[in-house]
Amino acid sequence: MSLVIDVQNVSKHFGKATAVNQVSFRVEKGQIFGLLGPNGAGKTTTIRMINHILNPDTGSISILGEPASPKSQERIGYLPEERGLYKKMKVFDQLMYLAQLKGLSHQAAKNAIDFWLDRFEASTWKKKEISELSKGMSQKIQFIATVAHDPEIYIFDEPFSGLDPINSEMLKDVILEEKKRGKTILFSTHRMEQVEQMCDDICLFNQGQVVLQGNLRSIKQSFGNNTVLLDFVGDSEFLNELKGVRINNRSTNFAEIRLLEGASAQNILQVAIAQAEIQRFEIVQPSLQDIFISTVNDTKVTD
Amino acid sequence: MINSSKIWLIIKREYSTRVQTKSFLLSTFLTPLLILGFMGFIIFMTVSDNEAPKQVVVIDETGRLLEPLTQLNVTRYLPITANQSIDEIRDLIMADELDGYVLFERSFLSEGTPATFVHNGAGGITFFESLRSDIRDVTRQIRLEDNEVSEAIIAIFDERPALENRRMNEEGVDEQNNAFLGSIGGILIGVFIFIGLFGYGAILMRSVIEEKTSRIVEIITSSVKPIELMLGKLLGVCLVALTQFSLWIATYAGVTILAAPVAQFFINQQMGDFQNSVSALDATGEVANVPSDIDLSFLEQFSIDPLFVLYFFVFFVLGFLMYSSIFAAIGAAVDSEQDSQQFMTPVMLPILLGYMLNFRIAEAPDSTLAIVASLFPLTSPINMVTRMLVSNVTFWEVLLSILLLILSLIGMLLIAARIYRTGILMYGKKPTFKELYKWIRQA
Repeated sequence: MSLVIDVQNVSKHFGKATAVNQVSFRVEKGQIFGLLGPNGAGKTTTIRMINHILNPDTGSISILGEPASPKSQERIGYLPEERGLYKKMKVFDQLMYLAQLKGLSHQAAKNAIDFWLDRFEASTWKKKEISELSKGMSQKIQFIATVAHDPEIYIFDEPFSGLDPINSEMLKDVILEEKKRGKTILFSTHRMEQVEQMCDDICLFNQGQVVLQGNLRSIKQSFGNNTVLLDFVGDSEFLNELKGVRINNRSTNFAEIRLLEGASAQNILQVAIAQAEIQRFEIVQPSLQDIFISTVNDTKVTD
Repeated sequence: MINSSKIWLIIKREYSTRVQTKSFLLSTFLTPLLILGFMGFIIFMTVSDNEAPKQVVVIDETGRLLEPLTQLNVTRYLPITANQSIDEIRDLIMADELDGYVLFERSFLSEGTPATFVHNGAGGITFFESLRSDIRDVTRQIRLEDNEVSEAIIAIFDERPALENRRMNEEGVDEQNNAFLGSIGGILIGVFIFIGLFGYGAILMRSVIEEKTSRIVEIITSSVKPIELMLGKLLGVCLVALTQFSLWIATYAGVTILAAPVAQFFINQQMGDFQNSVSALDATGEVANVPSDIDLSFLEQFSIDPLFVLYFFVFFVLGFLMYSSIFAAIGAAVDSEQDSQQFMTPVMLPILLGYMLNFRIAEAPDSTLAIVASLFPLTSPINMVTRMLVSNVTFWEVLLSILLLILSLIGMLLIAARIYRTGILMYGKKPTFKELYKWIRQA
């Protein structure tokens, strides 16, 4: 496994505000890497520094073994959180322009764009202006603009935000497909289910700092089997009687219960059986959502 | 450090997306028409002003002014009819059937009591001046006659010596020169540069704001440096402006080159018709006085010197790049055009100053003010070009002006690039001047 993105002790300040504080992480080739964290945690600033749009105040960033530079920019496909294209420019001209800015020759750009337009069944839009396209259509064009130059690294900032379910599923497929082709993907999100489904490694940001990072599976394991999933029929009042637990998720006939110090799963089962009909009782690892929330809350307390 | 092939891509996009727009085509082809129309309108107004005669009743208690005044202009000056009272005349003026009356009191000639012009407001200052000049002429005539001055001396007063205007050209040869035309040309060329700096500067700023608000700028800056994007935009828009100016200059040159032969052709044709009709009349034995040739050399004054066109482009390009780099920086610093107003004001002041000075410079192209304004880099793009058209400016002055302009252009570009670089990724709050200063200071 070779190192693709190496972020070391990077800090970035805007005036007196510290956006990113002593952040380090590494992304290996062929990985899907998730940057998680609440809004304003410093994810976008970090992504901009990896893209060489911003320069870190201190620390260093290496892309494929070399410091971030205009050259490394050409090896990255970047989809920013705030999407944008020239509204008054025709689809094909726009894609040609963006691909050539990424260093592609005229012919190579044309071939790549034809390929992708064809793949997304969008070849008929070539002569249309972006302002004539629907939101879903322009999202596809935006995506082609990101991938047309066949980069080794993809960086997606909140790629699933604003996508309809069809485009969302399509994007997921493309990401997994590109991973199979050996591409490295880094994306930021606060949609945990996507991270759980796709990511190998994660890095959790809070208030400009990395508060948790590593392999997703090992992180979940390290939290142990401390969560009870309960499906039941009947009065849910018994949930309120439980001691030493935190209920992360509850609805009329479901509860996700996190065991805290001293609580026992068997105890919960006994209380539950006494008051409701139990259809499922399962002891599992915590969800990423739970890890995310408790880690962020913990760091807030320690501040 | 700077990737010129990427800048070239940006220039191409900026240029081709603009040149293909309808508004570019319209403004390119309509502006000359509008200017021609405007000039025609002015000429029409000047002419039609003479054609709308004013009627003024002369109430002459001295009994000596009415006659010479009516001799001077029989349609303008009317006698008072026998049974008209002043009140009746006043009613006619109120009803717009008369434009006014002039009252000369009995003591007008003897004691110099001022004459009074009562009117309904029509006519304006030009008419008032012409009235005063008529009265001055007539009064002087009466005084000369009263003092039995000899005819010779009266002739002296009537004399209007001519002054021919010749301008020495580069080769030291005198050419006929019309200073009035030169000044008008100088003012017009200044107006063109002013509009060009301002109009295209605004286009550039709007385009920067659009890239920022549409967020495409983040995708672009993940491929090129902000300075490359800014330079590409500046040069691309500059090329659009040059294209438009070139088309206009080519049209103008074409018109002026064709004007003389075309005019000659029509004159010859009319001449031929005239001579044909004259030869038909020959039998009556009358000799027609036909001018053999009409001097059309005055048309050459409208022709355009290629060297001047070159200087025009040099000053426009340098001035445009200097001012538009600031416009680009402003566009990057704000989120909307409304927010740009506060920053526009200090940039507009020197351009407006240059624009207004231009009228003074066209009148007095070699005054100290004109020399300073044509060297000072913030005003020289407008004022030097005007000065060069109106007067002969030494080569060294032009060179110095260009050098100063290049130096300040580089300074402005460096400052603007720093604001631009930070601004294009900043959203939300409009920055203060203090914050802009901080952005400039940031390494």
